[in-house]
Amino acid sequence: MTSDNDRRRGLLARLRGERSAARSRGRRRLGAAVRLIAALTLAGGAYTVFAPGVQAQENPPLTGAAAEGKALFDVSCVTCHGRNAQGVDGRGPSLIGVGSASVEFQVSSGRMPMARQEAQAMRKPPVFTDEQVRQLGQFVQELGGGPQVPEGDLREGANLATGGELFRINCSQCHAFGGGGGALSSGKYAPSLRPASDRQIYAAMLSGPQNMPVFGDNQITPEQKADIIAYIQDTLKHDQDQGGFNLGRYGPSTEGLAIFLIGIVALVFASLWIAGKS
Amino acid sequence: MSTKTEHQAHQGPEPLDVHDPRLSRFDIVREGARRDDIEIVHYEEQVVPGSKAERRLTRTVASMFLLTGLAATAFLVVYIWWPWEYEPGSGGDKYYTPLLGLTLGVALLGIGFGILTWGKKLLPKEVSIQDRHENDPNVAESRKITGETMLYLADEMGVKRRPLLGISLLAGLAPVGAVAAAPLVGGLISNPHKNNQMFTTGFAPADGRKIRLVREDGRPIRPADISAGGQLTVFPGIEHGVSNKHADSPTLLIHLRESDAQVSREANQRVGHGNYMWGNYAAFSKICTHAGCPASLYEQQTNRLLCPCHQSQFLITDNARPVFGPASRRLPQLPIEVDDEGFFVARSDYTETVGPDFWERP
Amino acid sequence: MKRRKLDMASVPGKAAVGVDDRFGVSTPLRKLLNKVFPDHWSFLLGEIALFSFVVLLLTGVFLTFFYEPAMTEVVYNGSYAPLRGTPMSAAYASSLDISFDVRGGLIMRQMHHWSALLFMAAIVVHMLRVFFTGAFRKPRETNWIIGSLLFWVGFLAGFTGYSLPDDGLSGTGLRIASGIMLSIPVIGSWVTSSIFGGEFPGEIIISRFFIAHVLLIPGLLVALISAHLGLVFKQKHTQWPGPGRTNDNVVGERMFPRYALKQGGFFMVVFGVIALMGGLFQINPIWYFGPYEAWVVSAASQPDWYVMFLDGSTRLMPAWEINIPIGDGYVIPPLFWPTVVLPGVLVGLSTLYPFVEARRLKDYRSHNLLQRPRDVPERTAIGAMAVAFYIVLTLSGGNDVIADKFHISLNAMTWAGRIGLLVIPPLAYYVTYRICLGLQQHDREVLAHGVETGIIRRLPDGRFEEVHQPLAAGGHDGHAELEYAGWVVPKKMNRLGALGPAIRGFFYPIEKPAEAPVSPGHPPVEPLPERKEISSGESRR
Repeated sequence: MTSDNDRRRGLLARLRGERSAARSRGRRRLGAAVRLIAALTLAGGAYTVFAPGVQAQENPPLTGAAAEGKALFDVSCVTCHGRNAQGVDGRGPSLIGVGSASVEFQVSSGRMPMARQEAQAMRKPPVFTDEQVRQLGQFVQELGGGPQVPEGDLREGANLATGGELFRINCSQCHAFGGGGGALSSGKYAPSLRPASDRQIYAAMLSGPQNMPVFGDNQITPEQKADIIAYIQDTLKHDQDQGGFNLGRYGPSTEGLAIFLIGIVALVFASLWIAGKS
Repeated sequence: MSTKTEHQAHQGPEPLDVHDPRLSRFDIVREGARRDDIEIVHYEEQVVPGSKAERRLTRTVASMFLLTGLAATAFLVVYIWWPWEYEPGSGGDKYYTPLLGLTLGVALLGIGFGILTWGKKLLPKEVSIQDRHENDPNVAESRKITGETMLYLADEMGVKRRPLLGISLLAGLAPVGAVAAAPLVGGLISNPHKNNQMFTTGFAPADGRKIRLVREDGRPIRPADISAGGQLTVFPGIEHGVSNKHADSPTLLIHLRESDAQVSREANQRVGHGNYMWGNYAAFSKICTHAGCPASLYEQQTNRLLCPCHQSQFLITDNARPVFGPASRRLPQLPIEVDDEGFFVARSDYTETVGPDFWERP
Repeated sequence: MKRRKLDMASVPGKAAVGVDDRFGVSTPLRKLLNKVFPDHWSFLLGEIALFSFVVLLLTGVFLTFFYEPAMTEVVYNGSYAPLRGTPMSAAYASSLDISFDVRGGLIMRQMHHWSALLFMAAIVVHMLRVFFTGAFRKPRETNWIIGSLLFWVGFLAGFTGYSLPDDGLSGTGLRIASGIMLSIPVIGSWVTSSIFGGEFPGEIIISRFFIAHVLLIPGLLVALISAHLGLVFKQKHTQWPGPGRTNDNVVGERMFPRYALKQGGFFMVVFGVIALMGGLFQINPIWYFGPYEAWVVSAASQPDWYVMFLDGSTRLMPAWEINIPIGDGYVIPPLFWPTVVLPGVLVGLSTLYPFVEARRLKDYRSHNLLQRPRDVPERTAIGAMAVAFYIVLTLSGGNDVIADKFHISLNAMTWAGRIGLLVIPPLAYYVTYRICLGLQQHDREVLAHGVETGIIRRLPDGRFEEVHQPLAAGGHDGHAELEYAGWVVPKKMNRLGALGPAIRGFFYPIEKPAEAPVSPGHPPVEPLPERKEISSGESRR
């Protein structure tokens, strides 16, 4: 079983090699951002190394990026999450220990800051730039630790078939086979995966935003996460729909609508013409 | 623009002599129709032969047929030469099937509308009347004759006078019918309670050995593998455990948050399932008790489990009690513990029946 | 070598003589073919179903050449990369091969599926036509029953076919079907294990479904369709009332040549529409669903549209479980009512309806003339009620998709469906009944007072009134009240006259309207000679 798996992985890695040249420009921009953040983190790390004494204090001083993040936090997030991100009852949860993965997911997808309290935060155009997201993430990370999205290519050496299998076991029940999302109880829903970036999907799995279960690294290893991301991005989104227009991939409900609105309507018009007086 | 050949209605009931050389072909057709109780009362050429209108219509129909030829040729060209094979990485060609559909559809519609235009615009219009003959005295007469014939038949057979024949024939034939059905039914019939299969799952301890919970790839699971607020689909660690052979066994292993786990444990106590959880971990059957779909839409904040087929909702922290939708029975809970090597095992099989409800479920 | 000259023109005649010498068929055959069919667009709806059935047979035969009805586990190694190396059943693997490795296989699969949906849709639309026009009345009750059986047999054909690819979505449907069978009291578990050959899913169900789908059910469909058409032929088609049309005749065209030609053309049009849909719209992309695995499911799992009403009724059903405390205790699960009892009741109601109506109206005569829906408000309202019931159920079958895409709470959708199912059908009954009465009233008004002309006249005393064009002369105030004939009453000035609208054309006029200035009371001036050619003496005034 395992050796078979490895063989498959190798084969697919080879197949994927041809495709990697077609990486999008957004990807490269993301790479630049990653390098920038890495540099910032490194600078921050260097700072902590050279200032060991401050660690002992109750409120450790923040690194440069985190300090920027805190400034942003105090302007935009403090209303709901409280002064030290400890949360405000009935408005927003504590952010201590949620990690930068959670921040990255919520803020970069525009879900946070929330416009108003509702069953579930919706995806919106993001308020903050990528760099500001990093700064906020760094701030929350330094508050209480937590899961972090790794840097680099998140689809490195992925195996599409394994990704598909994992997707169908772990993801499709809520996000649907086509990745279009679906309804949950009482107005909550699993969002469509189509607008999600690699890092957002990774962050969502790590942090389990809102009602999504957490898929930690012990449960779904980083390699498996790469497989799933590759399956979503390369197959569900990138792959062409072979059979023509996909009717929104809503399954039989739109197909049923189509047969009446297109098939029956067209043929009724035809029969009107055929039986009409000439 | 229209010339009308209005024929005089009713030329008398007497049949025409069809060999009369003065008759036109149409007269014979009319006569034939009349003999079949059809009166052609109105027959009208729609276009004057040789007129401009006729030539225009002919051109229209011809161009539709030619369009069909073109589209059909295009279909063949696409079918043979268009790249159609699935390319790993870029997917299949997204135009191949649509192009086939388009060319085939146009070809068929061309021929269809060509024929329709031909029939509708170029052929003469007519109005014919056919009698239904429902109140025909001849029909009543023939009905009477048939009825009497059948009654006479019955008399001849004499079943009424000799009832024993009829009864014994029925008595003899009934088992023959059963004989015809028996091999089919007998071959199909299969005992649902063989090996107690409806009440056991793959987690039933075999040879006194407790069954491990494994992942889809067969690896056993340690408690550290699931983060709080996470869930994992697990299977019995037996041969073919991860396959449709054990379609009732898939189980959802959930790591509850501390506070939820507390509530859940108390709920367990209430129904006498005190030791079913291990730490903050609980395992529930993934097979909905309503219709058997995998109820696996776990909402980690509300601790609800939603079934995507009919929207039954189960509250995990209250013994997976159905709180909404058509399901009437809670999801069975699998008693779990951790073995000496630190892997999850099922303490025993499910203590309630897994899967959709049925009549004899105790 | 000397060849006898062949006179091509005499060949058909000679051949006919030759055939008749041997079989003596010319008179019965002519009688059979010399048939008059009334022409109305709504009589073509059933044809759509018939023609899509033919397309189903054609495409279905193609698919059997490549499909492998086996649940043997194989490891997929075809071209579709995202599933390569995945263990799956041979049935699913061969369905993937049809989609990716058979040239032109995907369009065949899609055409087959679309024509199945069209078949069922056309059956329903045709059934509604028959119902609302009263075409099911004596002597056609048998054909009504055959028709409603055709819906249910088509339903089975669709469901078995839908399950054959053995993909994740259809497998979920199969699992629900097994749950439904299990829910039958007393014999449920025996029925299920007999059909599946043991516990679900077993290893035999796909091959059993295959033989049912390609032989048994199509055989039954062909038999029923033949009986259906045979009866239409024997009993002759119904017709709308109109000039010259009575209960004892059929007014229309002979079958040959024009009617048959039009039918042939319509078949090609139906085929063409199916081909277009099969190519342009993706249906049932099984490669996203993966092989069926008992633990895999997708959000928005729905059956095809004609099963959706049962899915809807299942979703709306409250969790009412009946426990029977005898012995160990027995259960009737809530699943039983909406999926076994409801279809049973629906079959019963639909087949019995013609007899119920005849009994209620004490009407046991034969009817060959159709009724306009407005003239039978009660039946029309019952029909509207049934349609409303069906639509609420069907929408509820997709309520999670509606909830998700329109941002409505799922639980609210379920409750809306539950309440809607009780409230909307009676409402539909009432509203339809009133609309029918209103339309009737208006018809009678026009017959009594004439057509509204849109001309406003001012009376000497200052009042304004609209001028009405009477439909018949005579009577005390210049026109007589006409008897309602069960057919369309002209309600606009340009609908007057026997020949229908004066300006012909479907979307735009083919004829030029008269160019002379038209003023009320003066007919348009047309050149005389042209009108003289018409020998019938009819005038359009």
